[in-house]
Amino acid sequence: MTEEAILQGCLKNEAAAQRELYNRYSPKMLAVCYRFAHNREDAEDMLQEGFIKVFSQMHTFQNKGAFEGWIRRIIVHTCINNLKKNKRFNESLDIVHAHGVQVREESVPSIVQAKQIVECIRILPIGYRTVLNLYAIEGYSHKEIADMLDIEESTSRSQYTRAKQMLEDILVKKRILPQPREKTEWLVAVR
Amino acid sequence: MKESNFYSDDFEQLIREKTEQYKMYPSEKVWKGVHSSLHTKRKWFFGSMAILVTGILFYAGKELITPTSHAGPIKKIASLTTPADESSSRTVATNRTHTSFTTYRGNTSTVRHSVQTDADLSPEDQQYKEVNITVSHPVITQPDLSEDLSHKVNLPSEAPALPVIAGKTGFPEAWMAKAAEEGAPAGAVNSGIRAGTEGSGTVAPAARTYTDGSVVAAGSNPTAKEVIESLSARGTEARTNLAGRGNLANTKDGQDRTIRKGSISGAAGEGAKASSEAIAEAIDRQRINWLHDYAVYTLTPGPQRNRTYLQLTLAPTVNYRNLSGGEVSPKAIQQGGPFSPMRSGDASSYVDHSPALGFEVGGSLLYRITRNLSIKGGLQFNFSRYTIKAYASSPRQTTLGLRSPYGYFLDSITAPTNISNLGGSSLEKLNNDYYQLSAPIGFELRVLGNERLQVNVAATIQPTYLLNTNPYMLSPDYTSYTKYPSYFRRWNWNTSVEAFLSYRMGGVRLQVGPEFRYQLLSTYTNNYSLHENLKGYGLKIGITKVLP
Repeated sequence: MTEEAILQGCLKNEAAAQRELYNRYSPKMLAVCYRFAHNREDAEDMLQEGFIKVFSQMHTFQNKGAFEGWIRRIIVHTCINNLKKNKRFNESLDIVHAHGVQVREESVPSIVQAKQIVECIRILPIGYRTVLNLYAIEGYSHKEIADMLDIEESTSRSQYTRAKQMLEDILVKKRILPQPREKTEWLVAVR
Repeated sequence: MKESNFYSDDFEQLIREKTEQYKMYPSEKVWKGVHSSLHTKRKWFFGSMAILVTGILFYAGKELITPTSHAGPIKKIASLTTPADESSSRTVATNRTHTSFTTYRGNTSTVRHSVQTDADLSPEDQQYKEVNITVSHPVITQPDLSEDLSHKVNLPSEAPALPVIAGKTGFPEAWMAKAAEEGAPAGAVNSGIRAGTEGSGTVAPAARTYTDGSVVAAGSNPTAKEVIESLSARGTEARTNLAGRGNLANTKDGQDRTIRKGSISGAAGEGAKASSEAIAEAIDRQRINWLHDYAVYTLTPGPQRNRTYLQLTLAPTVNYRNLSGGEVSPKAIQQGGPFSPMRSGDASSYVDHSPALGFEVGGSLLYRITRNLSIKGGLQFNFSRYTIKAYASSPRQTTLGLRSPYGYFLDSITAPTNISNLGGSSLEKLNNDYYQLSAPIGFELRVLGNERLQVNVAATIQPTYLLNTNPYMLSPDYTSYTKYPSYFRRWNWNTSVEAFLSYRMGGVRLQVGPEFRYQLLSTYTNNYSLHENLKGYGLKIGITKVLP
């Protein structure tokens, strides 16, 4: 079934087309939710809410961009809205120095797996993680992030800088990334 | 969107690439949650239907498994007896409970009275201890009639006064006769009465005004014997005296209490007193039983109910079709045919059809011929639909094969089409909608249950008029679909069978049950090579009300 046919079917509220769309995009979108959420259950709840919005707002899609991108934006906004309901999340955005992140040094396979990266991102404090997700992975600007999270743009920048540094440290400690002096060569080798 | 160059940093690029590769597969409950929130109408529909069916089944189970019985008063009577009598009381209760609902009971009810233990009885009363009191009355224990009675006669919470009972029944004769048969000493009962009389046992004075006009003056102090005699004297009269039946139930509680308070205060000895009390208690018990049974028996038949009913029904249906034909008749081949391409084999294997939802709505008039059988006729509208998966194609001509009803002649016509069955540029989902007006004529038969809850079956034959002739027709070669209204049969015959559960609620009767409907003749005219017979499965919900 073509994407156009799926869209038409979804506009007619046909269950088969909706299922097809869901099957096609839900794995990627759940991974997105998982990076924002505390656990898998929360991620699935976000995904469900997000897809309900997708189907109910299907008529607003205007074929101006990629359909996947449109879905992704809805899912990300759903995740953020869910996080903002959490008081701890709002508090974490004000923390300049995150501490207490314990990373065990352990031997890991030399091949960097996607799952390892994602799990390491999830180790980050929630404020850092959210800004990192939005900026580095989802591609939002700091201004957009500041609007979304109701924070200062500078806060977003600082949070991102620290999040990035912390993630690098985690990856190094977990031996997913090499020591800084070997970093450049390693990245070239991985690529 | 972003002021920085996202890919300027290898680290960021690595993070992004790796996270994009990562996929997680959600559990099925996520989709179920999405689906249920998007299709709430369907959820409400099925939910409502489930609640309705569950409710009806609950009432069905309640009424069919544990029907209303009159065990309450019987238990009450049994509780008054001594353990020695419990077995006989149980016998009475059992007889009542197991009596057929629809037959009159002509058997006798026997109450063995032994209100005191042997040790307590005086030597004079020892001979009465096995006295059997037998009442011969045809009674009805049918629960529905009792229920009807309760609606039609405002029965008091307590049984009517003894003299009134006595006036309406003749049970003492039978009682005494039975006592004699059981070997009780001659005059045993009478002696008890006599003893009470001799001991000046009296019923407390009270002004009693009976509804049939008779008045017993206060202070007349009828004795127990007089009471019994009164029973005898007025028993026969009571059977024919219909005027007092309804009033019987309206006897004042005060009168009851008066009689109940009436003490037999015999002074001629404890034995005589005990006998009198035993008889009084026996009469009291019998009075309760009598009221329970005889009041039903003497009930005047209610006004003849109208036998004509109006029934309105609605049924969501799932519709489909049987497709046949298309094969080339050997006879036709011998005559030089075919003129149009046809395929052999089952047409259903060449097409992609699927059932779809429709509905049926209608009204009927029912005439109740017998208690269990009704005939009906009415009007109904059917919306039937099934879906076709086909392909859009460029406009072209398709050939429609025709033949005589017996396959002797073949002919063909061409019709324009842009719908292909076997392949095309894009998938098309077509709906074949049929709007039919029918006049069902049939019957309803009650197969189980009582007046309140019934299991019925019904069948109708339905002359049907097809309102629209624009559905798609499959070409006999199964390659395409086209519309050719003139080959649709306007008049047709349908038949339907159904089974349903009905429940009387107030003045109306609600029903629900499955229905199957089948179109007897092909949707197309006889000379079209293909035959299509519509069929539908539905869950019919109806309401029936008696016409004034």
